Amino acid sequence: MRKSNSLLAHVDWPLLASFFVLLFFGIATVYSVSFSEEHPNVFSLSEKYGKQMIWLGISLFLGLIIFLIDASIYVKYALLFYSATVVMLIVVLFMPPINGARAWIGIGSMGIQPAEFAKISTSLLLAKYISELIIKQQTIKTVLYAVGILFIPSILVAAQPDAGTLIVFSSFLFVLYREGLTFDPIILRLLNLFRGLKFKSTWIGSHFIPVLFVFLLLFAVTLKLNDSLFELWFFPNIKINGVLFIVLILATLSILSIVFFRVFSTKRDRPKILLVIILGFLILSSLVFLVNTSFNHLAKHQKNRIELVLGMKEDPNGNDYNRNRAMAAVGSGGLTGKGYKKASVSSVRSNHVPESETDFIFCPFAEEWGFGGSIVLILVYLFMVLRILFIAERQRSVFIRVYAYCVAMILFYHFAINIGMNIGLAPVIGIPLPFFSYGGSSVISFSIMIFLLLKLDSNRMDVLR
Amino acid sequence: MNLENRKYVIIAFILFIASVYAFRLFYMQVIDDTWVLRAQEIAEKRKEVVPPRGIILDRNGKKVVSNKTYYNLMMVEEKFGRLDTIAFAKLINWSPLEVRKRFEEIKEKEGYYVNKRTNKKTSNYQKSRAYPFLKELSLDEITKIALKLDEFPGFYEEVASMRNYPFSNSANILGYLNEATREEIDLDRYYKPGSNLGRSGIERYYEKELRGRKGIKYVVTSATNNALESYANGKYDTTAQQGQSLTLGLDVLLQEYGEKLMQNKRGCIVAIEPSTGEILCLVSSPSYDPNLLVGRKSISLNYPQLLKMEGLPLFPRPLQSEYPPGSIFKLVQSLIGLQEGVIQNNSSFVCNKGLVGCHNHPTAQSVSEAVQYSCNPYFYAVTKKIIQQQKSKNINADAEIGLNLWHKYMASFGLGIKLGTDISGEKPGLIPNSIYYDKWYGKNNWSFSTISSNSIGQGEVKLTPLQMANIAVIIANKGWYYAPHFVKSIGGKGPHKKFTVKNITMVEQKNFDPVVEGMRRVVNEAGGTGKLARLADIVVCGKTGTVQNPHGEDHSCFIAFAPMINPKICVAVFVENAGAGGTWAAPIASLIIEKYLKQTVNPEREKSILEKHINYVKGP
Repeated sequence: MRKSNSLLAHVDWPLLASFFVLLFFGIATVYSVSFSEEHPNVFSLSEKYGKQMIWLGISLFLGLIIFLIDASIYVKYALLFYSATVVMLIVVLFMPPINGARAWIGIGSMGIQPAEFAKISTSLLLAKYISELIIKQQTIKTVLYAVGILFIPSILVAAQPDAGTLIVFSSFLFVLYREGLTFDPIILRLLNLFRGLKFKSTWIGSHFIPVLFVFLLLFAVTLKLNDSLFELWFFPNIKINGVLFIVLILATLSILSIVFFRVFSTKRDRPKILLVIILGFLILSSLVFLVNTSFNHLAKHQKNRIELVLGMKEDPNGNDYNRNRAMAAVGSGGLTGKGYKKASVSSVRSNHVPESETDFIFCPFAEEWGFGGSIVLILVYLFMVLRILFIAERQRSVFIRVYAYCVAMILFYHFAINIGMNIGLAPVIGIPLPFFSYGGSSVISFSIMIFLLLKLDSNRMDVLR
Repeated sequence: MNLENRKYVIIAFILFIASVYAFRLFYMQVIDDTWVLRAQEIAEKRKEVVPPRGIILDRNGKKVVSNKTYYNLMMVEEKFGRLDTIAFAKLINWSPLEVRKRFEEIKEKEGYYVNKRTNKKTSNYQKSRAYPFLKELSLDEITKIALKLDEFPGFYEEVASMRNYPFSNSANILGYLNEATREEIDLDRYYKPGSNLGRSGIERYYEKELRGRKGIKYVVTSATNNALESYANGKYDTTAQQGQSLTLGLDVLLQEYGEKLMQNKRGCIVAIEPSTGEILCLVSSPSYDPNLLVGRKSISLNYPQLLKMEGLPLFPRPLQSEYPPGSIFKLVQSLIGLQEGVIQNNSSFVCNKGLVGCHNHPTAQSVSEAVQYSCNPYFYAVTKKIIQQQKSKNINADAEIGLNLWHKYMASFGLGIKLGTDISGEKPGLIPNSIYYDKWYGKNNWSFSTISSNSIGQGEVKLTPLQMANIAVIIANKGWYYAPHFVKSIGGKGPHKKFTVKNITMVEQKNFDPVVEGMRRVVNEAGGTGKLARLADIVVCGKTGTVQNPHGEDHSCFIAFAPMINPKICVAVFVENAGAGGTWAAPIASLIIEKYLKQTVNPEREKSILEKHINYVKGP
């Protein structure tokens, strides 16, 4: 193994630069939103910005340490690290709940959130596992093991309960997709259980991300039409509800495709095609029903949030309070914003937007810097994520590439959901905006993620695995 | 399969989301005006409306605490701009110097903290917060000022209501309000600087119910005339809700009478309705007019004086004074003895003055007679039998077992523990157990003879007058009680749930009969010590107590209930340094009973009580 001479030789400066830019704007925004006249110093420990400065300091210090440790250590101890975080995730379930969730070990501000570290350790273990696979030879077990690595922390996080982090774990699916893990063997096995079907290969299991998108679209439409009633033009007196309407549409499409394939396929294939189409229809319909029923069984507040985002309900002073006020803050920024420290709607002082230093930190930023500032911020985040993807693709080592994809997707999820929440396009889920939201756990864990990546990437010339 | 190309799928997805967001932001921030307008209205003009506090009524629906409306002139320094101090001073009829001093005073009041870095004292005062500049103005005063308020941005009027006590009594029950402290404001965001909250009594215990719910008004500066108008016709406003009204079990006229009877004396009267545990009156003497502690001005004037006044009128004797109960304690001893089976109804003991001193009376040949004559040696014997039941050969170990059993009985009577009434600050009294005496004398180094004074209500035992009245309740009910409480109903929905729980004592109903008979004889038969409580047309049952006081004259104590069948009122009267229980406490008790049951009293009996004036030695 040829080691690089200087630790800093191959550090990816663009990524590091975007990291510092975000950090800087982040602390500036926290400072402005919780500004207190009596403690104008940004290092004031009694104020949130002072505390944030401490955590920034700790993050940079940890980053330095990560850099000094040999990169192969991370590969070697991935499983150990993963197991340790799983243990922590179990232990945390026995801690007293704070705000209804058992997410902390330790005392209040001197504690850690295992979920944050679980994201990192899962990325590392997944990277290690995939790097040891031979992609072209996959069995059912391959993808099951990968899903298993994701499943264990996910279910522990869901038990806390922490819906936000659970959703972030789904970002790993993108990584599986990019690395070519496929559900095909499973799907093949299931399909071939039916008599008359003897498929040798299928593409559904390997192109599962686009397939999932189609499903998600279907589900969104289902939910949106959940409560609506439809009249059929040829049966004017019968009203059917949204779910049945969708099923009816699916049925029509199925029949049309049967007819279509009848014309255009060979006799031999017809029974197979018929079976597949019928199966497809049944599966989709039952999924639609399932989504509908489980939606109605969701906890009230979760149901509310989804309904509000899909525009099915309006409740500006009650359940929609956060979202409504947040959008007012963002929207009032105008083209150029109101100016630094002049966020009148979303500052902590005026108290209209709750959580404006944490989940809704985008609001004061958008209010102060307007559309111009908001676009710049989105571009910086976009740049960071794309740069990480670029870094991923230039790796010789599968391990580093997988890890990089994990980091990119986790970051993307956070920024997409958090900003989406602030502008009314995503349901209100409590996850922080990386490097911006006030909170030690989040800043430290994202910084660790980035520095790990920088370190691994700087060793890309060495052949690891 | 070319996996590398999959990155394009992912990149496309990311770019798609980013552009959707960009378009959305463009729409929200640049094109759509709704949000700008909404933000303006929401952020700048949100006014809180403080509702009037819940009123408090007595059991007959008479208003005991009501609200009077006052006005405050509020200020927010941040909005002053360039304040013309001279013109402003002229408007409110002050000198400019006084105005400036008032600003200083407001800053001072907020307190300071030390900035750790610069080591400078910095104020908690904030320019962006609203503070009251002038408080408690009348309608006329504020009207004159309000007309010109346009010229002074940063000032506005606020309606406030203050408490008013039409009957000028019951101060210890009702409590008073004053301004929330810094800590309280930080703890509960409902309170702002200048908010009033209940500081003692009912006002404090039921603060959350009485304060109601604030309303929110959104107002907008109209384009034409600079006045404040309701935004969107009040569509987003929420109305303030007045606090719930409380109905007390108190009979305010009875309370008034009781305070009158106790004037020039120190002590208490506690009256409870046995079937519900509602407190009919609670007199602490000396007391004070609650209207003296309404509003910042009055409180700062009157409170220091009341604090130091002789007799300590602010001290709520019925709940916090722990006195030795004296002979009324014998009632409980009888009940325990009967229940334990160590005596029967017709047990007889010689009045052996060698054991403990006693006055002259016929030999008590039954429990009822013992109560009637209040024979000390009798109860010495009874208590000895309870405590030394020979469950152990060793006399000390036996006493330990007996005393702890006796203690359990006492606790079931609500003695030695807090009764849990709905005013804070109640004391539990003292009923010793074996651990207590072990500390004093050494483990197992004591027996009944060491602690025998407790048998007649002297020694270490101590009760509060509330507990004394509660004993009368238990006997009137023959074996149970509801925790005595003041509030009969919150907002018309009944009392707090814990006051609907029946507390059943360890003594069975049948064992109460001889004691009740004894109490009847105390008042209505020859040789009874409570003759002065007798009423012609109502059968009063009572028990006297003469409590020895090492510092001066004995205290006079009497508990009673009436009528004997279906009792409606239980009373405990305690008069400090007044001598024998039968002489002063008993007649006061019967006057209270008569007043409550008949609404009128015999004026002759009343006269001597009203004229009595006890010379109190300096000190409590």
